[in-house]
Amino acid sequence: MNTEKKKRNPIAIIFLAILGIFGGLQLLSQPLEGKPVTGKIEAPREVIAILENSCFNCHSNQQNLSWYDKLAPVSWAVNKDIKRAREVLNFSEWEKLSPAEHQGKMFAILNMMQSGKMPLHEYTLLHPSSKISQKDIETIKKYTLSLSGTGTLTKDKNTGQEIKEAPQPIPSKNPVSPNGIQYNDDFKNWKVISMSTLFDHSIRVIYGNPTAVKAIETENFHPWPDGSIVVKSVWKQQELPDGEIRAGKFINAQFMVKDAKKYKDTEGWGFAKFSGDDLHPTGKSASFAKESCIACHRQLAEKTGYLFDVPMKINTQRLIQNLQKK
Amino acid sequence: MKNTLAILLTGFILLISCNKENKDNGLVRVVFDPGHLKFISTSLNTKKETMSALYGNSKALESLSKENSQPEPGTVIKLVTWRYHENPQYTGGTITGELVSIETLQSDEKGSVSYEMKNTESNNLSVNKEERIQYLMSYHPVSRP
Repeated sequence: MNTEKKKRNPIAIIFLAILGIFGGLQLLSQPLEGKPVTGKIEAPREVIAILENSCFNCHSNQQNLSWYDKLAPVSWAVNKDIKRAREVLNFSEWEKLSPAEHQGKMFAILNMMQSGKMPLHEYTLLHPSSKISQKDIETIKKYTLSLSGTGTLTKDKNTGQEIKEAPQPIPSKNPVSPNGIQYNDDFKNWKVISMSTLFDHSIRVIYGNPTAVKAIETENFHPWPDGSIVVKSVWKQQELPDGEIRAGKFINAQFMVKDAKKYKDTEGWGFAKFSGDDLHPTGKSASFAKESCIACHRQLAEKTGYLFDVPMKINTQRLIQNLQKK
Repeated sequence: MKNTLAILLTGFILLISCNKENKDNGLVRVVFDPGHLKFISTSLNTKKETMSALYGNSKALESLSKENSQPEPGTVIKLVTWRYHENPQYTGGTITGELVSIETLQSDEKGSVSYEMKNTESNNLSVNKEERIQYLMSYHPVSRP
């Protein structure tokens, strides 16, 4: 009898203690900061329905959280995720973005859904109704592709007469990105690793420094060696009368610099973008890439070490040798 | 016993051939080496689904900057053409894939021009050399700061 009592008491005490701590946690935790809806995304009803059901809980100022999302310590993780999610994409502050950015975001959303990266697996485990179906993806895809050509860079039509480019003003000093990456012309002497286009009617040439090229050729980019640098030079597409497209106006040069220690928050890559003829750097603070660039690179380009434009493994060595033979 | 041996042997051969296959069928990621030439310009052909990079030496850069129809003596130009694909990691973007052809234009010290086309797809492709030379000379160096 006595021994039984002795055994039960500690259990009760522990139970009460846990309850107390749990209760205390609730007092300590701060509720999620409420923000107003300043400009909700406008899109066809079926598109909005999917976004509201699967994305809005984190990517908007209109949360519709379950009771267990609001209980500490779960709420801590939830609130942190929401805060980060809003930084990357917020459907309630859609008006802050330009039509071109809206299009870019929709492509990012489509790609995230297609690759199964969003909604997050941890999230759909607790919220099964927010899972997206193949049909949902088709709906998003149809809408996203319909945006192509609206609000983007319009193609320059070259109607016979030659377009003369004024001599480019040379920036007196090489601009520096907020994270310390400085623009440098060296890349113009590097090898071109690939070329690409994007839905925004741009044409892109991607250069790699010798370290990066060696990593590609030896298939040694998991992870990329420190010192690898890749630069993407971006132009507006310019259409010739016969339909062929050439590089028109310069838009920007995008740098990715690998330094695993220096850029820990962004998978070891330092990002920089220098736009226009004055090469003005993108970003207000050193951590700008954390809120923008890396979100897509991390989720969608993991297979190629977070770079999108690694040459495809598609050619045979013999063919290349034959072609390059004199 | 013979049968077992045969089966084992076949299995072994299959295994070896599978291993070879696993080595990506000899496929590699190729970065074109232009030698001493530098990237000068680029083009996109949406009908043929190709993208090209034009490389050249300093004489090539000079000729194309001046929009000459004839290259300066000592010019070397290479036009390297690739087939492009939808980027496997990003819907809405394309990326270059198979190498299709390498065209080379050279002018000697006297200024006489030679042209050569190497093609991976159709060997007996008849090209109008004069037309291709004019085409290569129609490129302008890309503009940028």
